[in-house]
Amino acid sequence: MIKVVQTLDQLGRTLVMQFIYTWQILSMVYLSCRATFLDQAQGLRTIIGVLSAQVYFTGFQALPLISILSLATGGLLILQAMSNLTLLGGSQVIGSFLIAVFVREVAPLLTALVVIARSGTAVASELGNMRANREIDALESMGINPLSFIVFPRLVGGILSVVGLSFYFIAIGLIGGFLLTQFFHKMPIQFYFESLLKAFAKEDVFIFLIKNTASGVIIFIISCYQGLSVKRSPHEVPQVTTQAVVKSILYVTLFNLAVSALYYLSRLQELGVL
Amino acid sequence: MNSSAWSLRFENVSYFHEGQDPILENADFQFPIDQVCWVKSEEGEGKSTLLQLIAALELPKIGDYFINDQSVKEMTFEEFLPTRLKIGYSFDYGGLLSNRTLKDNLLLPLLYHRLVPTKQAYQKVNSLIEMFDFAKFADERPAHVPGRLRKLTCLLRSVVHEPDLLVMDDPFVGLGLETSEKFISHLKDLRMQGKAGNIFLSSYDDQLCQKLNPVIIHIDAGQIYQTMTEVNKKVANL
Repeated sequence: MIKVVQTLDQLGRTLVMQFIYTWQILSMVYLSCRATFLDQAQGLRTIIGVLSAQVYFTGFQALPLISILSLATGGLLILQAMSNLTLLGGSQVIGSFLIAVFVREVAPLLTALVVIARSGTAVASELGNMRANREIDALESMGINPLSFIVFPRLVGGILSVVGLSFYFIAIGLIGGFLLTQFFHKMPIQFYFESLLKAFAKEDVFIFLIKNTASGVIIFIISCYQGLSVKRSPHEVPQVTTQAVVKSILYVTLFNLAVSALYYLSRLQELGVL
Repeated sequence: MNSSAWSLRFENVSYFHEGQDPILENADFQFPIDQVCWVKSEEGEGKSTLLQLIAALELPKIGDYFINDQSVKEMTFEEFLPTRLKIGYSFDYGGLLSNRTLKDNLLLPLLYHRLVPTKQAYQKVNSLIEMFDFAKFADERPAHVPGRLRKLTCLLRSVVHEPDLLVMDDPFVGLGLETSEKFISHLKDLRMQGKAGNIFLSSYDDQLCQKLNPVIIHIDAGQIYQTMTEVNKKVANL
């Protein structure tokens, strides 16, 4: 009995801590937006400078990796779909399958994982080192708010990059994957694209935007938060970077799962199953 | 606001780092104004923390700090900004932005807040670079220059906007005698022009500090005390 209570106690404590952490990172999103709008000195030029650098490093430089990953994933899914659906006698639903699996689920999640691995770690360690090297304190001492000077442009740049990369991932995966699979399994191009267009609905745009925008926010605000949580010593930097990766993966995955679950529950409700 | 209008007051201030002995405990203190104040204490007793509290980079855990009778604790970042821009702070180590050149580091406080026109900012920074003779390294990033120049740039950045309140944590360490004396001479020039009226510094270099005729502030057992140097005592006794 005591063990059960202790387990419940531990679970409750973890939940409360996660709730507090979520509240803190949401507050940081608000405070960085507030600081940017209240900062009279920080011109649009400064913001755009940091923002474009962020888009370059997070978005543009990730294109080769995203290309390979999306080609491979798209190709594999199309191949699997063609072989299995043909066996089951339903190859005309390939469009619905790809929209449901590749566009709604795989693309946002894999893009987010790539961005976490490449840029989330970079941002967390950069800010951690800045904190340890007292650059953040120096900014404050010069009357420059780190939330508007450092966090906000990275956040916005991150969101734009994730949305852009995810769109690129989908385009390369669906088009390039199709071309790649032609070496193994011939399928008429018109049939393929008609099937995709037929399956595509306006909800997909909504799901695409909500999942990718939220992933951008989650990854970059957690990375900034963890980076800025370094107290003094550089030895904390690898620790906060690891935490940034773990927490970003956890939050992005849970958010994607929640959006998908809500979407499919609403679909079931529409169909009268629930 | 001219420098003589400043007032700096601690009211019942306590400060501690988590898990460590308190640095200040219910300390009440009215800081001397229009003086060079040399903060002294035993090693690890909290000189750097006190300087950060004076520069309002740290806030008292308990009690309040009033700058010109305004509570620092109650002000937001934006509300405090006008006062912040009249304060210069230099760290005992680090503090330079690593992705900017030495010159850009010096220009940042002037250009970000548009304290002076761009052309004037460049003139000002170039004249400082020339005065301290490091033009060769001015366009290098901090990681690519000798430590002495990093320290010097950090010091110069704290005075480039000619603050009313200048706070320097161990300013002479790693600077070398010649550069330290040149910097002291620059501070004296600024003070002659009515700038950097209130200076707070901590240092273990008695000889260099004495050149600024300081008032001594001690931290002892969580309290702040003011004592006079021999020179000041003689002046006071006259």
